[in-house]
Amino acid sequence: MPNRAPSSASAYERRSVGPRPKAQPELKNVVIFFSDLTAAGAAPMHASIAQKDEQFAPHVVAVTTGSSVAFPNEDPFFHNVFSLSRGATFNLGRYPSGSSRSQTFNQPGIVKVFCEIHSHMSAVIRVFNHGWFTVPNEDGTFVIDGVPPGDHTLVAWHERVGERRDRVTIRAGAATSISFTLPVLEPGP
Amino acid sequence: MRAPRLLTRALVTSFLTVALVLGAVFGVLSLRVRDQVRQSVADNLASAQQVFTKVEARRQQDMRASVAVLAENPTLKAALDTWLTERGGANEETSEELLATVQREADKIAGRVGADVLAVADGSRRVVAAGGKLASSWPRGVVIGNAADASSPSDRAISVGSGMYHVVSVPLRLAGAPIGSLELGTALDARYARELADLSRGEAAIVSKGTVLASTVSGPEARDLASYSAAGETGARTMTLAGEAWAVQPLSRLGDVTFLALASIDQAAAGQTRAALEGLAWVGAGAIVLAVIGSVWLARTLSEPIDHLSQSLTAMTTGALPREAVRVSGTSRELDQLTETFNSLLASVASAEAEAEATYLGAVRALAAALDARDPYTAGHSERVSMFAVAMGEELKLDSDAIETLRLGALLHDIGKIGVPDEVLRKSGALSPAEFEVIKTHPSAGARILRSIPFLAPHIPIVELHHERPDGLGYPYGLRGDDIPLAARIVHVADAFDAMTSARAYRSGRIPVEAIAELRRCVATDFDGPSVEALIAALPRLVAATEPVDPKAFQWARARSA
Repeated sequence: MPNRAPSSASAYERRSVGPRPKAQPELKNVVIFFSDLTAAGAAPMHASIAQKDEQFAPHVVAVTTGSSVAFPNEDPFFHNVFSLSRGATFNLGRYPSGSSRSQTFNQPGIVKVFCEIHSHMSAVIRVFNHGWFTVPNEDGTFVIDGVPPGDHTLVAWHERVGERRDRVTIRAGAATSISFTLPVLEPGP
Repeated sequence: MRAPRLLTRALVTSFLTVALVLGAVFGVLSLRVRDQVRQSVADNLASAQQVFTKVEARRQQDMRASVAVLAENPTLKAALDTWLTERGGANEETSEELLATVQREADKIAGRVGADVLAVADGSRRVVAAGGKLASSWPRGVVIGNAADASSPSDRAISVGSGMYHVVSVPLRLAGAPIGSLELGTALDARYARELADLSRGEAAIVSKGTVLASTVSGPEARDLASYSAAGETGARTMTLAGEAWAVQPLSRLGDVTFLALASIDQAAAGQTRAALEGLAWVGAGAIVLAVIGSVWLARTLSEPIDHLSQSLTAMTTGALPREAVRVSGTSRELDQLTETFNSLLASVASAEAEAEATYLGAVRALAAALDARDPYTAGHSERVSMFAVAMGEELKLDSDAIETLRLGALLHDIGKIGVPDEVLRKSGALSPAEFEVIKTHPSAGARILRSIPFLAPHIPIVELHHERPDGLGYPYGLRGDDIPLAARIVHVADAFDAMTSARAYRSGRIPVEAIAELRRCVATDFDGPSVEALIAALPRLVAATEPVDPKAFQWARARSA
C-alpha cells in the first residue's frame, strides 16, 4: 500500500511570528442584516482590518457604502491587500511594517480581500447601502436599532455556511427578538 | 524361432537402458527447470514489487509536496474564492475573467507537476477548472468522487466519466478553512500500465472488481486475468492465462484497484528447457555411441569363446576328438568355468576312448593268440605280417588311421584258420585239392567271425580279401586289380613274403633275396606292384627294428648288408 504523505495544505509547518493569537471565534464572522431594506444617505463609517500574525483581523467587517476601510500592517514584514470582487477590484500594493493603506467601498456587495504575499490570508467586507446590520457580540447577542416597522427579512450570514433567513415583524416602539442557529464547524488545525 | 544373437540382446539392452535413463533425466530436468524458473520469476516479481512500493511511495510523496507547494497560490485562491462567492450570490452573472484566472492557474500547476489532469474543485469536489493533457475528461461540474463523503481519503481511485483515475487531493485553505481542493489525477490506462511494466521489467495489468482496466498483455491473457481477486495476499501467485503459466504479483492496491506485475513462466522455462535439452541431446548421443561400442565389445568377448567351445563340441560329436584342451579365455568367470568343465569332459572322453581302444586291442590280441595257439608253425606269423604291413603302409605314406587298420587287420588276417580242422592245418605234406578247398574257406570264415564284432568292422576287407590276386585268380571272389582294397593287397604281399621266408611243416624257408626275386617275378599277376616295392624299400628299416628271433632272419640280414 502506498504510504500516506502528510495531509497539511502547506508543505511546511505553519510558523508563528510571535505569540500565537487566539483564533477569532466563528461568532464574530457572522453578519446579521435586513436584506429587503435600503436607505439613502446612510452615513459612511470607518473600519479597520489589521494585518497581524499573517492574518486579517477581524476576518469579517460590515460597512455602509462610502465607508473606507484601513488596512494597517502590524506585522514586521511586508503585506499586500487586493481584491478581485466585482464590487471593488483593487490592489493596494505592498507596503511595509507600520504603514497603512485604505480603500473606500462605494458599492454594496461582498468584497473578499487577500494578500498577494501570504496566500492563506483572506477577509470579507460586506458593504450595505443601509445601516441596519451588525455583527454579534462574543456572547452571541446582537442589537439592531431603529429598524422601520413592517415585515422584513432578516438574514444571518456566515462565509462558509451561507445565509439563514427569517421573516420578522417590527412594530413601532417595540423590541422584537429573534435568534438564529448556524451550523458552523470550528476550523481545523 | 531362434533366440536372438548375443550382440542384438546387448545392443537392445543398452539402448533401452540409455533411453530410460535419458527419459528419466529429461523428466526430472524439466520439472527442476520449471520449478527453478517459477521460483526465479516469482523472486524477480517480488523484488520488483518491493522496488515499486518504495519508488511509488516516494513519487507520491514528492508529488503531494509539489502540489501542496503549488497550492500556495494567492492568485488561484483569490480567484476561486471570489468566483465561488459571487456564484452563489443574488447576482447570477458569473465573472468570466475570474474563471479564466482559475483556469490559467490550473493549467500552470498541471504543467509544473506533469499530471495527466489537475482540477480546481470547490468544497463539494465539483470541478471548477481543469488543466493537463486529459483535462477534457474532467469538464466543469463533474464531481470527483463522492461529494457527500467528507471523510474519504485524499488518495483514492475514482471513476470519472469513462476512465479510472488515481486521484490525490490537496485542500485549498483560506484563513484556516478549506474553500476547495486541487485534485491531481493519474489515468489508470494503457500508458500507466506500460510504466508499471517497465518498472517491473515484465508485463503489468491494472484490475478492478473483475475487469481489467488496462494491461500490457494481449486480449486472451487479459480476459483470463480478469478473474484475479486480491483476497489480501501479497505474494506472487501462478495463474494460467491463455493456456500458459504466468506468475502474477500484486504491486499495490488502491481501494478496489489492484496493480499487478506479470511474468510468463512458460516463456522463461521454455528458453531454459531448450538449452537443457540441447545439452541433454549431446550427452544422449555420446551415451548411445558409448553404449554401442560397449555392447559390441562385450558381445565380441563373450561370443568368441562360446563359438570356440561350440566348434569343439561339434567336432566331438562328429567323432574327431580335439587333440588339445580349449584355452581359458579369461573374459568371464562363467565362461571359464564352462571351458574347464568342457576340458575335463574332453579328458574323460579321451581316457574312455583309450580304455576302449586298449580293451579292443586286448581282444584282438587274444584272438591272434588263440590262432597262434592252434598252429605253432604260424607262431609269430601274424605278428610279422602285421609288422611288414605297417612298414609298407608307412612307405606308401598312408595316414595313421589306415596304418592302424593295417596293423590290426594283418594281425587277424588268418583268424579264419580257427575253423580249419587240425589234420588239414598241420598236415606236413602237400595238400590235396579237397584239403586245399577247405583251407580256402579261411578268409570268409575269418570275415564271418569279425562281422559279429562291430568295432572290428574296418578290418574285414583285409581278412576276407588277403588272398585275392590282381589277375583275378584269387579267392574267395576273384576280384581284379584295383577292385581289391589296398590294405588287402598290402597284406597279401606281406603274407606271401613271410610264408616264403619262414619254415613250414613241409619245406624250409627261402632266403630273403630269393623271396624278393619271386615277388618281383609275380608282380601284376599274384602281387600288387607298388606294394612289392614298398616292402622292398621298407626291409632295411624292418631288419634294424626287429630282433633276430628267427635264425633265418639273421642270416638274411647278414646277406643283405654284405
